[in-house]
Amino acid sequence: MKAVLVENLEKDYGKVKALKGISFEIKEGEIFGLIGPNGAGKSTTLKILATLLTPTGGRAEVFGHDVVKEGDEVRKLISYLPEEAGAYKNLKGIEYLQFMAKLYAKTGKSYEKMLELGVKLSGLGDRLNDKISTYSKGMTRKLLLARALMVEPKLAILDEPASGLDIINAYSIRQTIKQFAREKGITFLVSSHNMLEVEFLCDRVALINRGMIVEIGTPKELKEKYEAENLEEVFMSIIGGKQAVEVFE
Amino acid sequence: MSDFWILVMKELKDLLRDKGLIFGIIIVPLIIYPALGQMMQVGFEQAQEETKVVLVNLDEGQYGDLLIKALETAPNVTLTKIDALSIDEALQKAQEENYNMIVIIPQNFSRAIENNQKAQVEVYGTIRGISGGMREAVSEGRINAVLTVLNEYLAKLKIQQNMEGDPEAILKPIDAKSFTVIKGRIVAVPPSLVANLITSQSFSMPIVIFIMIILVAQMSAGSMAMEKENKTLETLLTLPVKRITIVAGKMVGTAVIGIIAAIAYMIGMRNYLGSLTSSAQVGITLEELGLTVTPQGAALFVLIMFLAMIFALSFAMLLAVFAEDTKSANTVVSAGIMPLTFPTFILMFADLETLPLAIKYFLLAIPFSHPILASRAMLMGEYSTMYASAVYLGVLSVLMLLITARFFTTEKLLTAKLRLRRRG
Repeated sequence: MKAVLVENLEKDYGKVKALKGISFEIKEGEIFGLIGPNGAGKSTTLKILATLLTPTGGRAEVFGHDVVKEGDEVRKLISYLPEEAGAYKNLKGIEYLQFMAKLYAKTGKSYEKMLELGVKLSGLGDRLNDKISTYSKGMTRKLLLARALMVEPKLAILDEPASGLDIINAYSIRQTIKQFAREKGITFLVSSHNMLEVEFLCDRVALINRGMIVEIGTPKELKEKYEAENLEEVFMSIIGGKQAVEVFE
Repeated sequence: MSDFWILVMKELKDLLRDKGLIFGIIIVPLIIYPALGQMMQVGFEQAQEETKVVLVNLDEGQYGDLLIKALETAPNVTLTKIDALSIDEALQKAQEENYNMIVIIPQNFSRAIENNQKAQVEVYGTIRGISGGMREAVSEGRINAVLTVLNEYLAKLKIQQNMEGDPEAILKPIDAKSFTVIKGRIVAVPPSLVANLITSQSFSMPIVIFIMIILVAQMSAGSMAMEKENKTLETLLTLPVKRITIVAGKMVGTAVIGIIAAIAYMIGMRNYLGSLTSSAQVGITLEELGLTVTPQGAALFVLIMFLAMIFALSFAMLLAVFAEDTKSANTVVSAGIMPLTFPTFILMFADLETLPLAIKYFLLAIPFSHPILASRAMLMGEYSTMYASAVYLGVLSVLMLLITARFFTTEKLLTAKLRLRRRG
């Protein structure tokens, strides 16, 4: 079964067309990257798949469930990490994980297992007993990532997962994502504007620019096709040097 | 534990740990209002202190002496006689001794009374500094009370000397004995006293309901806005929980805090109002008038309060959809809820039945009028109006709840923010 199916997806914010009919599929257990500059439509796509936004046109499915008509069913299968997410500042880190685990776990045993995994993934140790208001940005991000992954969803939608993390923590989270996909069969949809990160992490990538997908393939395929050394060069080749400079500025 | 209770507990934990919030809505009312009441009490007590009167007697007859004796025996009055030839001199001497009241019995005071002419006593109160004259007002009242007794005594004396018959009956030929008919029972208490009692009991109800509604509305809107401000809303909305459960969990969680805050306000206000009204006791209880609250009345009142609260909460949540942060949440709630609560203050002063028809129906249409009306109907045992209120509020609350839940299933919660800038 396809984990994600997106067909001619469109989204307008008033007069602004954020998505202009994009289509792609993600296979189960795959790590799929959506890459592109700021304002390309990455977050909008992720928000639609996370049932937060309603598309203006086209359709999107998660494991066969329509994101608009079967929102409740989709939410049981996914775990979404927004780019600019926060946590309840007056709760302790451990209480936040407990709160989330209670909502996802169906039995006491699975709750304990989830919590144990969350504690391990966060890597925050004793600091989990402190209020979240005392955490640094990086610590909060680690807690949120732990929350998103500890529930072992069928599809994890991560918007800029390593945003705000230092090199060591960013590396560590990439390893965890790879391990979860390989060992637990979890499907990942990851967005990033860091093309080198995505190249390392993803099985397949879609390059998105100005609301349109301009290329899809494995990093290897794309590099070969465009005779480029990395995805950054691929992207530059596709949209043209002049436009790329304009976009990245 | 069900998803609903997990969300309620999270809400309570998050809000109760907010020190600023707890201090502002629970601690402050518990301290500020009683402190304010205490200050008023100090003012009252100071005003009630012994009245020190300086008296200048320029009269040489027996009635001047009689007035002096009456003042000397009056409670809480200390009299000091001084010699002065003019008012200016008396005022100067009184000021030197720090006396605030001066009574001057003029020449020919006794002669005027003896000749059946009106005699005059001059009473001067010196208002100093920032006292506001409260002390002088109390002092003047005490002196006037003495003069009233003396007047009546002298009038009766004159009647006795010149006429036959009961001086009391001649002085006051007609006496009214007032009764009140309440709930079909005749009570030997004037209607004015009964009205005072009922008003004093139900006067605070609109204030309490107003505070409760506003607090609860602001709490729920604020909590929703806080989710936006702290960027936790998007995560919350993607959890495997039905949106209606999220709305209900948030409503109950914030309602609990709102009710705790309202109780704190009520305790604080009670202490404050208690210090203002303690002197105005009517001397009769509602039970003596047959105005008791039955279990049926109390249950109906609680139901009406609950429904009004549900309406306020869901309406505030709906308003919060359009707020981006806690500050704007307060603004939208004030703009949306205040116009629905202020008109109900009319009910503090006016009887609904005597109001013009248009105003009457306007007030009846406002959901927050019904708890106020119910508080009176409960005392009077008018249950049919309470049932009508409960049905009306029930329909309104369910409608508002459905509209709010509907909004939560759409992207409206996020698009207000999204409109500001294009997302990547």
